[in-house]
Amino acid sequence: MTVLTATDGATPADWREAVRRAARGLVEAGAAGEGYPDACVRVVEENGPYIVLAKGLALVHARPEEGGLAVGVGVTRLAAPVEFGHPDNDPVDLLLAFCTPDPDSHVGTLSTLARALSAGLADRLRGASDEDALTRALEEALRDA
Amino acid sequence: MALDRQLEVLAVCGLGMGTSLILRMTAEDALRALGVEARVENTDVSAARGMSPDVIIGQGMHTSEIAELAPVVITISDFLDKEGLEAQLRERLTEKGWLA
Repeated sequence: MTVLTATDGATPADWREAVRRAARGLVEAGAAGEGYPDACVRVVEENGPYIVLAKGLALVHARPEEGGLAVGVGVTRLAAPVEFGHPDNDPVDLLLAFCTPDPDSHVGTLSTLARALSAGLADRLRGASDEDALTRALEEALRDA
Repeated sequence: MALDRQLEVLAVCGLGMGTSLILRMTAEDALRALGVEARVENTDVSAARGMSPDVIIGQGMHTSEIAELAPVVITISDFLDKEGLEAQLRERLTEKGWLA
């Protein structure tokens, strides 16, 4: 069972705050430990803004040993986009955060998420009317995960 | 020369567990559309250094670090852009004679 969370209208000052906000949803839902948000920031500091994997969309995550307690996916929609310093995909207005307790448990969920993204999930999330609609869109996309 | 075996493809990212998994699925779709028999794996840049695939796919910030590892290195920014990746694969694999 994948833990799902949604946050709408976040107003982070910069990408670090946006990443922490996106990951905090997973902590609040009990899917990740307290250190997970900062670990997600370090992933970008150490490896570059590659987590911005499409225009305006970041996939926030860190290694399972950084505090992954369950498989979780959270969507965070920003009130105003932030710059990650990505050469092509900035600015980012939508963040999907995930966590996993081990290196394998997330594969099914992420595969389903990838299929849903290919089928236009990001635009459905952008078009959601409010936080409840964000949650429903995510639930619908990952129902079979 | 035509490949008489499965094409070995590596999707790379920073950690090798999430972003590259999504890229792997896009690459599998693109290769299927091209009719190429391929095995696609995803990994992080460090682990990639110990491998010798036919094709590496990733973002420029990563492929620039490992450009010498494979005969074909493809850089893409949008990991969900199946059509764009398919077009690049068609061109590069045809150059190598790996696409009939």
